[in-house]
Amino acid sequence: MLKVIIIDDEQHCVDRINKLLNQHKKTIDIVEICTSVKCAKKAIESIKPDVIFLDIHLHEKTGFDLLKQFTTIDFEIIFTTAFDSYAINAFKFSALDYLLKPIDEDELNNTIKKIKDKVSLKDVSKKVEVLFHNLEEKTNQVKKIAVPTLEGLTFLKVTEIVRCQSDVNYTHIFLEGNKKITVAKTLKHFEDLLEPYNFFRTHNSHLINLSFVEKYVKGKGGYVLMSDRTHIEVAVRRKEGFINKLSSLF
Amino acid sequence: MKNIIFAFLFVIISFSTTGQESILDSLFKELETHQKKDSLRVKVLINISWHLTYENPKKAQKYNEEALTVSSEINWEKGKAYAFRQKGISFYAMADYLNAMEEFQHSLNICELQNYEYLKSSIYNNLANVYADIGQTEKALENYNEYLSTVKKLNRRPDIINGLTNIGNIYNDNNKTGLALQYFKEALHIAEELKDEFYIAVILNNLGLAEKRKKNYPKALMYYKRASLLASKIDNKYIKSVALRNTGDINILQENYDLAKINGEKSLELANKIDAVESQKDSWKILSTVYEHEKNYKKSLSAYKNYILFKDSILNDEKKVEFTKREMQLQMEKKEAISIVKIERQRFIKNTAIAGGGALLVATFLGSILYKRKRDALEKKKVADFNTKVAETELKALRSQMNPHFIFNSLNSISDYMSKHDIDTANNYLIKFSKLTRSILENSEKKWISLEEDLELTELYIQIESLRLKNKLSYKIKIDEKIDIENTLIPPLILQPFIENSIWHGILPKETKGHILIEFKLENEMMICIVEDDGVGRKATVNTISENTSMGLKITKSRLDIINQLKNTKGNLKILDKPQGLKVELKLPLELKF
Repeated sequence: MLKVIIIDDEQHCVDRINKLLNQHKKTIDIVEICTSVKCAKKAIESIKPDVIFLDIHLHEKTGFDLLKQFTTIDFEIIFTTAFDSYAINAFKFSALDYLLKPIDEDELNNTIKKIKDKVSLKDVSKKVEVLFHNLEEKTNQVKKIAVPTLEGLTFLKVTEIVRCQSDVNYTHIFLEGNKKITVAKTLKHFEDLLEPYNFFRTHNSHLINLSFVEKYVKGKGGYVLMSDRTHIEVAVRRKEGFINKLSSLF
Repeated sequence: MKNIIFAFLFVIISFSTTGQESILDSLFKELETHQKKDSLRVKVLINISWHLTYENPKKAQKYNEEALTVSSEINWEKGKAYAFRQKGISFYAMADYLNAMEEFQHSLNICELQNYEYLKSSIYNNLANVYADIGQTEKALENYNEYLSTVKKLNRRPDIINGLTNIGNIYNDNNKTGLALQYFKEALHIAEELKDEFYIAVILNNLGLAEKRKKNYPKALMYYKRASLLASKIDNKYIKSVALRNTGDINILQENYDLAKINGEKSLELANKIDAVESQKDSWKILSTVYEHEKNYKKSLSAYKNYILFKDSILNDEKKVEFTKREMQLQMEKKEAISIVKIERQRFIKNTAIAGGGALLVATFLGSILYKRKRDALEKKKVADFNTKVAETELKALRSQMNPHFIFNSLNSISDYMSKHDIDTANNYLIKFSKLTRSILENSEKKWISLEEDLELTELYIQIESLRLKNKLSYKIKIDEKIDIENTLIPPLILQPFIENSIWHGILPKETKGHILIEFKLENEMMICIVEDDGVGRKATVNTISENTSMGLKITKSRLDIINQLKNTKGNLKILDKPQGLKVELKLPLELKF
């Protein structure tokens, strides 16, 4: 039985989650519903829930304000939001779960299933830490990305990733110092996340960090020489875009 | 063909530019002192604009606008007609053919109402120049003839020369040298009567070209010789350079390389002085051949390189106008039916009112274009216009996908389901609707998305519409096995307007259930996207096509135009009537991510 707290300042949103969770009542127990940060803090401390559904906007405060009040987080968090691309991006980077409102039943079920299958509480604190790290509005702030590996969640600085290479549904991430991590996510997943941070998909199976490009060799079969001495192919169709992006950087 | 018309007309410009500075200066002074808004001010304004046509057509438009405003204020119809025409001329100078045509048409309408016969005929000449430029020979001839017959009746001899020569040029370009010679000779005869050495020289050059085409080289040489001598007499470098390079051409054909070298070098020297690109190009070609014959291959190669350089600079320009031309042709086909009726009518109106406006006489020769300046203006304008078009189209595409009808109809249906207590359907509907809205907003700034993503969106859209129509609609999406949906890119929701049309105007009015087939297939490196329905078809709905549909169609065409221009492809859109229903075929360039 999972103990759940719903935190949302709008009654109709609460009602909806409530209704959707109703079909899981054998395994989920909604113990408290809070509409403010203050109420939520108290409830979490006394109830010690397994999962919270957390809205981002809570009156004049935010769900992040709530989380900042805990030094360790030993419950799963499912963020809920209607449209907040900045926050959503941050969730993706830190591998935190989120649901978009109006909440789709199937998506909710998937998320619940995931949590039931593998409650990995040891990671939550770390994920939230990464979330806050990424949300901090400092310039030159190096983004961090949470990467689920076979051994558990690994947190990488975006700037230490040299390149990513696809291997069917897996992606090999090559780091500085010749380290390599293999992740069960598609290259497309990383392309979507990393593209704004100086990464470029040069090829169907390659995503590279432009900061590690040593040399670009033109020609029909053009390729780049990366700082780890690998040659990465640049697909003919990507050449123009690649040169444009490179020249906009330097 | 252009170069010949251009040769003829360009000369008039370089001729009239002598002392242009002082003419413009004095016109500006006059404008300064004459602030009263009357017909005199309009005349000065139009005169200034005319003199600016080649220097700065963009700036000229300012004066045209004022001329038009003042004429309207004082109800001076003739001033308005001149202002419209001058606007057209300025647009023409910027190679904006569409707008030029429109302004000429405005002017023509006034002339017709007011019986300004001479002015009207001059507009036919303007229009003919546009047609000649875009390669519509027959229309050009028709309009030149209209012009010629009027000016003959009015006995305006410089205009007669102009009309005859322009017609001759067209015939010569179309290999009808016999006719061309006839027209040139008639023009020459009148020019000789007028003792106008400038015209004579120009026509002599053209006569030479026609003889060359007939392979009558000695005769061609004789004409060029006379042209060259006259050009020296009136000190016109342009005509002289043309005559010399034409002579050089013949020298080569006759294998008289020593003479070709002398003429080529002289022509080049003159052309360089006045930046006459055409002459520079042709002179280099002559010299390259000469050097080759002298076995001086290094020099020959370098001359050839220069030739290509100038040729490219002209060709590039032509490529840029290509887009306008294509658009223009489309527009014209549409207007054809209307204009035929108009021209017929105009033919039968035979009035004898005599038009005045002596001060503007010179403006008749407006076909003249200084290509080099036009090129600069054109380039800037085209780039700016194109960018605006792209931005506008993107915005409009978003608007059409997220059109208010769609939003409120969806909300309405949701409300309907709720009031009937079908909460699950209402809910399902709402979730789909919010998903689609989110995706449209996210994808609206993307120019291309993967077919996989687009199919998801398209399907979502159809599902929403079919929920609204309660089982009236079924659909199928068929994809060619050769298409890799992850790696193939298409513009987001490009088929949506057609699906919307099929649903609302094909299937909804139908009494029984309807089916939509969406198909993607590959054909010669092009992607064919098909939307096919078995609805009531176009005939039944011809009067009920909503604003939204035609808007969606327009936007799709505009998106297609942009793609075609950027990718240099020939994508197109076909709408076909079936015995039962409608089929839309959109052909796009196959775009792959990798």
